[in-house]
Amino acid sequence: MHQGDALRRCELGLLDFSNDFWCGMSSNTVITLAQFIKELDGFSSDAQAAFDSAQTAEDLENARVEYLGARQGRLKSLQKLLGGIDVEEKPAAGKKLNEVKTNVQQSFEVAVQRVAGGGATAVRDPLFDVTVPGQKFRIGKLHPITQTIEELKDIMGRLGFSSVDGPEVEDEWHNFEALNIPGDHPARDPLENFYVATSERNSERPSSEGPNQRLLRSQTSTVQIRVMERTQPPVRIISLGRVYRPDTADATHYPMFHQMEGLWVDRHVSLAHLKTVLKLFATSYLGESVPIRIRPSFFPFTEPSVEADYFWNGRWVEFGGAGIVDPNVLASVGYDPQIYSGFAFGLGVERLCMIRHKITDIRNLYTNDVRFLRQF
Amino acid sequence: MIVSRNWLSDFVKIQATDEELTQRLTMSGLNHESSEVVDDDLAIDLEVTSNRPDCLGHIGIAREIAALFGYDFAIPTPLIKETGSPIANQFQLRIEAPELCRRFTARLIRNVQVGPSPQWLIARLKTIGVPTINNIVDISNYVMFECGQPLHVFDFDKIHGGQIIVRDPKPEEELVAIDHRVYRLEPGMCVVADAERAIGLGGVMGGADTEVTDRTVNVLIEAAQFNSMAIRNTARKLNLHSAASYRFERPIDAHNIDWASRRCCELILQLAGGELAQNWLDVGSRPDEHPPIELRFDQIQRILGIDIDNEVATQILERLGFKNLQQSHSKISVSRPSWRNDVTREIDLIEEIGRVHGYAHVPDDIAVPMSASHRRTEDRILGKVRNALTAAGFDEAMTASLIPAGWSEAFSPWSNLQPLQTSQGMLGVLEKASHNVGVVKYLRRSLVPSLLEARRINEYKSNSEIELFEIAKVYLESEKELPWEPIKIGLVSQRDFFEVKGVIETLLRHLNWNGELDIMQCDFNLLDINQSCELRINGEILGWLGRVSESGKRTFGIRQHTIVAELDFGLLCNLATLIPLHTDVSLFPAISRDFNFIVQNRIHWSDLRAVVAEAAGSELESIEYKETFRDPQRDGSDKKRLLMSLVLRSKAGTLTGEQADQICREIVVSCQEKLAAELVA
Repeated sequence: MHQGDALRRCELGLLDFSNDFWCGMSSNTVITLAQFIKELDGFSSDAQAAFDSAQTAEDLENARVEYLGARQGRLKSLQKLLGGIDVEEKPAAGKKLNEVKTNVQQSFEVAVQRVAGGGATAVRDPLFDVTVPGQKFRIGKLHPITQTIEELKDIMGRLGFSSVDGPEVEDEWHNFEALNIPGDHPARDPLENFYVATSERNSERPSSEGPNQRLLRSQTSTVQIRVMERTQPPVRIISLGRVYRPDTADATHYPMFHQMEGLWVDRHVSLAHLKTVLKLFATSYLGESVPIRIRPSFFPFTEPSVEADYFWNGRWVEFGGAGIVDPNVLASVGYDPQIYSGFAFGLGVERLCMIRHKITDIRNLYTNDVRFLRQF
Repeated sequence: MIVSRNWLSDFVKIQATDEELTQRLTMSGLNHESSEVVDDDLAIDLEVTSNRPDCLGHIGIAREIAALFGYDFAIPTPLIKETGSPIANQFQLRIEAPELCRRFTARLIRNVQVGPSPQWLIARLKTIGVPTINNIVDISNYVMFECGQPLHVFDFDKIHGGQIIVRDPKPEEELVAIDHRVYRLEPGMCVVADAERAIGLGGVMGGADTEVTDRTVNVLIEAAQFNSMAIRNTARKLNLHSAASYRFERPIDAHNIDWASRRCCELILQLAGGELAQNWLDVGSRPDEHPPIELRFDQIQRILGIDIDNEVATQILERLGFKNLQQSHSKISVSRPSWRNDVTREIDLIEEIGRVHGYAHVPDDIAVPMSASHRRTEDRILGKVRNALTAAGFDEAMTASLIPAGWSEAFSPWSNLQPLQTSQGMLGVLEKASHNVGVVKYLRRSLVPSLLEARRINEYKSNSEIELFEIAKVYLESEKELPWEPIKIGLVSQRDFFEVKGVIETLLRHLNWNGELDIMQCDFNLLDINQSCELRINGEILGWLGRVSESGKRTFGIRQHTIVAELDFGLLCNLATLIPLHTDVSLFPAISRDFNFIVQNRIHWSDLRAVVAEAAGSELESIEYKETFRDPQRDGSDKKRLLMSLVLRSKAGTLTGEQADQICREIVVSCQEKLAAELVA
């Protein structure tokens, strides 16, 4: 079997011809080794000259077909001559053929590079203007609030906080009671909240009486309660989403905005954990380590309550409210405050987003002028 | 709360610089807003959180400063001489509405000289930005800003019947207040009345009739304690907010009422002369007694994460006015000072110790245990949807959750139930041109109306390429206690119907769902009757797609061609595959065949496609729709040509030309039989 022979010879390192070559061999013309070598040398110098003189890709392709063409090329003809060489001399002839083939092939590759413009002799085509703009395709942009939220989720995710979601229409228990905001607290004033009722055709006033009224949540802390009600500690979560307060829209207020709320409850979670996590967060968000500080504040659902600031561009920037989860809140979800403790923090997404992108009017975020949206 | 540095110095000797002082106050809970030099004084503006009404007076802030810096602190006892006859013989007090007024006290001074206040008093009020009126009124203000207890001074001779009754309003009752406006009194408001009529709204504003004037000779000094909620509601209802109502909206120090009353009398006697009647009238409840609070020292470390020496902790509490009742190595029992109603529990004591000790001591570099967080499946899918839509050239919009009634009624494909509405509208969220559309108080049941408004705004601004999507919740009334809040994906586009349909189809492929959408007719006024459809998957509604009808465009003020779509994100989540499984690709070559069928106009592409797919069998790799072509002259006006391209491939071996031809023959026969489709030769 020819093929078998070829493989065996290849293994012996005698010949490096492709199987196709051996399979295709059929000529019986008798020729001496010396003649064969002379033919090969002639072929080699002709091919070299032809490749070197080619100026265009077309010239070169013509030369390639003439010398190296798979069907009618001169190399193909020379290969056929191999069949007429004495068996004893065949290995030497084959070796020489291989050398010539490799050299010519290399000359061709060099010529290809040169003609393609890689070489010093390439001539520039003045008609091809590379400064003409490319063909762009339209790609949309994500809203800057979404981009900020995704970044916050990403950072908090790396700090071990999983993102959870909760309803935007809440009941008073989750929005107030369970968060240690009793019925007489000013935050529960009807004018400070969007209470919700099914619209009644003939009644302009939705009924606002009755226990456990529904309202648009005024903070994402509601989700804390929902998660703790259905999970045992440890809890390490963030909730992100829309919240609502009836401020008239102006440059710095909008009746709808976004909050991120973080919560970590476990055994032995202290204010030091809070400060450390806020520091890690600020470092991740700002890309470098910045000083942070916490100072006392007041929120019904945390005790102690603090405001956190980070030092950025030469001043303290308010970061958000935080604190140790009030024992009343833990008790309201059935956690034992003697065993578990935890911290919570909340921050306004719009504020972060606006500082980050130097947006000066919050209403821009919700007008959806595409010239605004495409900037981010 | 603006405080005068000179005034503070009456109670505490401040050695710190202004900078040190305000910095320390900020870091212990009284956030420094700003300072301003006023003549030879400094006005320091401090933010007082709602839990610290004790800091709504100079004494409270001086006490805080003393505790922070370890300064001595003393409150002088007011010196008054009661030279007049006993008040009880001259006047009577009665509380008829104890739920509105806990306690009411009065002192009487006869023969005062009403006139201007002395310079020192005017200067201090000027520093804190309070205008001066006359010595009597100025003194009552001064004492309020000194100790936090609001006072009211009546012209004694204008009180009819020698008595004050604190009661509920009578029907239709009105009061002419000191601003000379008439207020209609409603239930829940605390009326201070004489024998005949209302002479004041307790804690909110006095009446014009009994106010102190230049002609006033005898004055009655009220120091009282009202119900915080009642004061808040009254002040809000009447839009009457004052320094007094602000303080009464918070708990006051009931033990301070007597001091405030005496202090007021002391200053009046000093500055306006007169004779103070013996004793005072004091009706209503006595201050509550509060149980001791116990602090276990080890809880400080547990909550704050730092060790604070027991002695340091004890000292801090004592400096803040807590009385050390009993102390051991492990715990301390204290009674709280009367001005600290906010401190009732161990955790509150821990906060006091922590904030005075300084949160700067709390480390920000402790070892935090690792925890595996996970990204929710919905968040991952949401990310893919956003990627696909931005890649398709859509910008992400964000619009308000509440919309006006007209928009709410214009399109509500997901629910026939009435929209939820809020107790008040969102103000300032509409562009000028949309001001006439009504109150923004309906929770939206679809994103499409908001996106059409965004579209209108952009059109109005002559913006080009208005391609928007939004992913947000809609709010649907449900049988449950809370509404249903499914997430929807809304699209608005200027492209043609099939381009937007293609975006939706591509989105589904991007989520690794390779099925076929079922396309159904739909009927919405908002949408064009022809160019609109319902999209279903396995019988479930994915959403709707359509061109906005002429009437829809009028409703939303849109001029140009617009396509809208809304998809259910929940269903997308159900059909998305986040981790697709590998299948071997066929190693064998494909054969492509084109078809050009003539069919009746009523035959839909989906009909033809289904027949072709069934006939082609398992060797069918793909069917690609090419175009619809009409040539009425050759085919008749009731017919059309549907061109398609098929790719056939076998998994088992190379498909031969003959095999492919056989499949094609079966396709043609099947289409002929089932749809009367003719193959164009």
